[in-house]
Amino acid sequence: MPSLGLPIYGQKTALETRRWKSIDELAGRADAEPGEFPEGAAETPAGFSRRGFLQILGASAAFAGLACKPPREKLVPYVRKPEAVTPSVPVGYATARSDEGYAVGLVVQAFEGRPVKVEGNRLHPASLGGTDAITQAMVLDLYDPARLAGFTRGGRALAWSAVLQEIAALAREHDKDGGARLRFLVAPTSSPTVADLRRRLLERFPKARFDTWAPAGGDAAQRAGAAIALGRPLDATFEVAKADVILSLDSDFLATEGEHLRSAREFASRREGERMNRLYVAEPRFSVTGGMADHRFRMRGAEVAAFARAVAAELAQAGVAGLAPLGARAEGEHARAARAVAKDLAGARGRSLIVAGARQPPAVHALAAAMNEALGNVGPVVRWRAPVLVDPQAGPDALRALAAEVQAGKVDTLVVTAWNPLHTAPADLELRKVFGKVKNSMVLALRDDETVRAASWRLAASHPLESWGDLRSRDGTVTVVQPLISPLHESTTEVDLFAAFLGEGERGAWRLVRDGWRSRSGAPPAPLPLSGPAAASNPADTNRPRPPDPFDRTWDEWLAAGLLTESAGRPEDAKVDPARVADALGKLPAPAGGIELGFAPDYKVWDGRFLENAWLQELPDPITKLTWENAAHLSPATARRLGLESGELVELARGGRAVVAPVLVVPGHADDAVTVALGYGQRVAGAVGQGAGFDAYALRTSDAPWYAGGATLKKTGKTTELAITQGHFSMEGRAIALALDHEELPRAKAELDEHRGEAPTILQPVDYSEKDYRWGMAIDLSKCIGCSACTAACQAENNIPVVGKEQVLRSREMHWIRVDRYFEGPAEDPQSVTQPLACVHCEMAPCEYVCPVNATVHSDEGLNEMVYNRCVGTRYCSNNCPYKVRRFNFLDYHGDMAPTLQMLMNPDVTVRARGVMEKCTYCTQRIQRARIDARVGGRKIGPDEVVPACAQACPSEAIVFGNLNDARSRVSRKHADARRYDLLHELGTRPRTAYLVKLRNPNPELA
Amino acid sequence: MSTAEKTIQDAHALEGAPVLVGRPDDRALTESLLSPVLGPTRKGWLLLLFALLGGVGFWTLSLVTTLFVGIGAWGNNIPVAWAFDITNFVWWIGIGHAGTLISAILLLFQQKWRTSINRFAEAMTLFAVAMAGVYPVIHLGRPWLFWWLIPYPSTNLIWPNFKSALPWDVFAISTYATVSFLFWYLGLIPDLATLRDAAKTRGRRIVYGIMSFGWRGSARHWRHYRIGYLLLAGLSTPLVVSVHTIVSFDFAISQLPGWHTTIFPPYFVAGAIFSGFAMVLTLMIPARRLLGYQHVVTERHLDNMAKVILATGLMVFYGYMMEWFMAWYSGSASEAFAFLNRFQGPYRGIFIAQMFCNVVAPQILWFPSMRRNEYVLFLVAILVNVGMWAERFVIIAVSLHRDFIPSSWGMYYPTWVDWGLFLGSICMFGVLFLLFLRFLPAIPLFEVKELRRELEHYGDNAHPGSEEEG
Repeated sequence: MPSLGLPIYGQKTALETRRWKSIDELAGRADAEPGEFPEGAAETPAGFSRRGFLQILGASAAFAGLACKPPREKLVPYVRKPEAVTPSVPVGYATARSDEGYAVGLVVQAFEGRPVKVEGNRLHPASLGGTDAITQAMVLDLYDPARLAGFTRGGRALAWSAVLQEIAALAREHDKDGGARLRFLVAPTSSPTVADLRRRLLERFPKARFDTWAPAGGDAAQRAGAAIALGRPLDATFEVAKADVILSLDSDFLATEGEHLRSAREFASRREGERMNRLYVAEPRFSVTGGMADHRFRMRGAEVAAFARAVAAELAQAGVAGLAPLGARAEGEHARAARAVAKDLAGARGRSLIVAGARQPPAVHALAAAMNEALGNVGPVVRWRAPVLVDPQAGPDALRALAAEVQAGKVDTLVVTAWNPLHTAPADLELRKVFGKVKNSMVLALRDDETVRAASWRLAASHPLESWGDLRSRDGTVTVVQPLISPLHESTTEVDLFAAFLGEGERGAWRLVRDGWRSRSGAPPAPLPLSGPAAASNPADTNRPRPPDPFDRTWDEWLAAGLLTESAGRPEDAKVDPARVADALGKLPAPAGGIELGFAPDYKVWDGRFLENAWLQELPDPITKLTWENAAHLSPATARRLGLESGELVELARGGRAVVAPVLVVPGHADDAVTVALGYGQRVAGAVGQGAGFDAYALRTSDAPWYAGGATLKKTGKTTELAITQGHFSMEGRAIALALDHEELPRAKAELDEHRGEAPTILQPVDYSEKDYRWGMAIDLSKCIGCSACTAACQAENNIPVVGKEQVLRSREMHWIRVDRYFEGPAEDPQSVTQPLACVHCEMAPCEYVCPVNATVHSDEGLNEMVYNRCVGTRYCSNNCPYKVRRFNFLDYHGDMAPTLQMLMNPDVTVRARGVMEKCTYCTQRIQRARIDARVGGRKIGPDEVVPACAQACPSEAIVFGNLNDARSRVSRKHADARRYDLLHELGTRPRTAYLVKLRNPNPELA
Repeated sequence: MSTAEKTIQDAHALEGAPVLVGRPDDRALTESLLSPVLGPTRKGWLLLLFALLGGVGFWTLSLVTTLFVGIGAWGNNIPVAWAFDITNFVWWIGIGHAGTLISAILLLFQQKWRTSINRFAEAMTLFAVAMAGVYPVIHLGRPWLFWWLIPYPSTNLIWPNFKSALPWDVFAISTYATVSFLFWYLGLIPDLATLRDAAKTRGRRIVYGIMSFGWRGSARHWRHYRIGYLLLAGLSTPLVVSVHTIVSFDFAISQLPGWHTTIFPPYFVAGAIFSGFAMVLTLMIPARRLLGYQHVVTERHLDNMAKVILATGLMVFYGYMMEWFMAWYSGSASEAFAFLNRFQGPYRGIFIAQMFCNVVAPQILWFPSMRRNEYVLFLVAILVNVGMWAERFVIIAVSLHRDFIPSSWGMYYPTWVDWGLFLGSICMFGVLFLLFLRFLPAIPLFEVKELRRELEHYGDNAHPGSEEEG
């Protein structure tokens, strides 16, 4: 195979030498000048003696004959094991990403060694094949040209070997007092390798400490609640599919909390058919989960506990034993709701679920645990599990203690692997002010940020797709994280860094992880190579013969599957102690008066770590459809009372701290409450995140991390334009995204028949029934949660450019599939319907006959194809598209791509030029790939063999694609469903994408 | 005292609205009508030219920006993929209808009053079509490939899609531009010969000599000229109707509420004549005053043109009413919404302007005294120009901004480039017109002379237009 000049793992390429690392460097400014020698080679490491120099000199001579490269570590592809890389054929590798420390199993497609597209691993319990938008967008972070590269200490660039030396010297210093002045600030992780390293670090430095900080909370509140109720900090996993009645107490379990991908899949599986589940949600802001609720009770965050107690009281009333001391009857508007919910729950004992949200205090989690147990849900639906996180505590308390120590000058070395704590730390800890007191602040980070700027040691972190590691999911299943590409920039990982403190930095993460698992699996140590002692230093050198290692095969199987088979743990038995729950509930403070300020992790930038990810920035928020910034969400009534409108800038203040934030009026938000998304308004940001939103962390204090009373909003008299992709929330009474109550469906046949079937026409429609393939799609609105993973997946698969806030304000966003969100019912308290809408591939396509140059034409299989080369850009097709799903390259949106971003492009999809129209192709490149495979195999393409990116990403399997001429295909069955209808059927466009009516299952008692 | 003023003074005081004031002899007519061409350059003309050239600079800057930056320099977006670009195109094309109508259709109907204004109107037509022709090319995302809309035997064997109305536009507009130009130029030849003979410098004699193709005014020349002119008139006549019919197909063949309307062809043609006559008046009223053409472009002309404006204005209003009626009568919710949105939506101000300018303002022309009042007429003509531009904007952009799926609704706001291309094209049009007035006879000399003889023969109160008497 000729060299394609593309990076292959373990090889340096011409590309890398051409790369520049920053604008400064390109312009030859600052200290970024690479100089004559490789980075770090020209500087003497601190604490470097003459003796050490001679050692290195000798070693250099000895190693000169060996390849100066990292070991060629063997990666194992997911399904197929090709003998060599075939150009243009992607290979999938199983790996995982960390979601608040837990594994989300992934299969990443790589073209010629370039990871291009992230998919979920169907075998992995936390993914089941689905992904979320953040996961889809992670590959953009990998290729971000603005990533941090290399290592510096006090402004001096260091090579990795020098870093290791200096860390070794530092570690020797700390040995003197057992690490009493050594602290680590880390992010939550479940990695067994990191756990081992941490254990060994604490053995070497018994007085050192690891503090974990998760700004978005993770499920720390759940574990604290379990500690109250069960006496142990246990994790909870849910079998959502087995629950008939679900009560969410401010939990966004379908989109962000817990195993949300799995929950969404299981929840959606019960949104059709006879045995539909029923979801009640009590929450302050409109969340994705709230959008799926059959009954949504909007209330301030601090009132959720009272509502939960009211439900408990009503449950006790309904005869559920053990809840009487925990309940408290409610007065007012939600009393009736609590009664109905309790009755419904009591009728579904052992088949119901109460899930408390990450933003609720532990006492509410404890109460939820008590109610689940009382209802007999523990076992069939709820399972307690031993925590897999290395450090179950991740709240502000540890951070507060650390800040106090730093303030007192008790910390000499602070190793920070948590993301940007200076930005995320509660404002009252004043971490920014005290951080400078640490002599050696060592920060490992993917990108330049505030903490990196303040640190004395700046270490570039490898992207997860460049790193070896391991992670576990909540049930204990282990996934070995394998890289897909050698680090694009000089960088390192947390594993390597911790090993460096143990003097094992040279071993490399691969060997640390692999050897750890070798010993855990009980396999014997690796046999030594057969010849020559020199080879021992490089056991991975494939040129030397080695005796067969029985562990190789196991390891390969693990890597190929993306998980360690049967590594899941067993559920734990635990009993609720009602007295302790009652005690905790009693200690809950009464809801504060005034306006309640609620904080929430953002659906896109999460706690802020994805602020620099342009795909996520431009992804419309699932509920508000806001892009490129955050806003202060208010209910219409509260906004009216305060005389505010969307886009007005207000001074949002609480407890002497204030920020200026734009108001966004969101229907369905709780009254007298304001919700702000975390993560925006970072002080140090790159080209993407600069000026995006306001810093909500500035208002957040450690005593009230999620809900705080006494907020004030003061008009500033200024306004701003919010880049919202969907200006109209109402369907204007048109039949667009149809939603029906479960009970109404049988009676709605006649009404639905108006939106499906043959439309009267004087034209003879083309008959596609004789063709081998008639591609079609079905989108089940009942299952769509609106998470927008499809939009992100499409962006990654189809090389869709990001256009920026200005262009979004001009309605020029390029997403091929958008998720429309409509509100129904009263503006104060509406229900929502989400509707993914891409090109529906009309058989009688209005776009086709108006194109003057035949640039959009029909294939014989009925695809509405877009021929970019023919397009001259009249835009007539878009004008005539009733669905308005066509996207036009008004400007040269791709521009001159950085070399790394060029590597991101999917080689199967044209990168469109300026002045060209584009739109959803049903992932025609995937159809073609399947066609090639089928032809090679001498067979037809299977009924469900082709999966477009949107359908593949969808966590709830709302999108189904396949061959409509094959009755066995899932899409054929969906098209024949009683709920099927065609969007804008009356126009006679004969769309190939059919929609299935959203069903709701309201409680008749609350009607 | 110029010849023109003298002839007006000499006119009989009791004569009512003649087509030609007085009975100037040939020499007086040649002198008075050629004086703007043969006379010295006037300061006012130069000043106006430079002022308009400034606008042309803005236009050029906008054009260059569009070509280098892309359509993104405009305010267009999804859903409003066409906005100022096509609005301006349709507006200019509509304006370009008056010339051919006056020259061809009125010629065939033997309306003698057309003689003194036809060349003026034709020139306006040509320049308007030239301005219109810019937009279909530059509004393309990749304008350098505009020739893909033309059917030619290309090596990749792909023809334009004849189902689309846009290739029809290519034919309609290029044919119209060609025929209009030939018609105009043919009518110019005898006068170019007069200019050649009257020119005082050798350079002019050579240039006008070449342009007049050796015209000597022989009976044979006149015979050929008459046949050719009549044939071209016959050829142009259907074009007057066809061009705007086809332009209206750009919208009518689509399925967008507000575009998908069978009444569009007649409604567009009426609108085109409406706006074309308004533009002729807009230019004519100041020009006849400044160039001293009052004796050949008389109140009679103004009166007649005002009547055409009134009549076509009523037709346009009928078109509006039919649209509203059909929106209600069709029972289509999206159709009804599209029209309600014009009244109630965010662009209602433009809709109100359209209604006032196109429907209310022309009604003043029911009064004969108003029809002869230059100031009133000029104001109405300007308002009609504004109103017809607003109408096209309402049809194009306002229909697009809210269609079937509310989630895709958006707003369109023009950028400076949009304004540059719009206002700049008006300046460019003005520059072309000023050059025309300076270098070519704006009033057809020989036809006016012919008219004078006819009038002498039959008298003013005879109907010079009718076959029996004329």
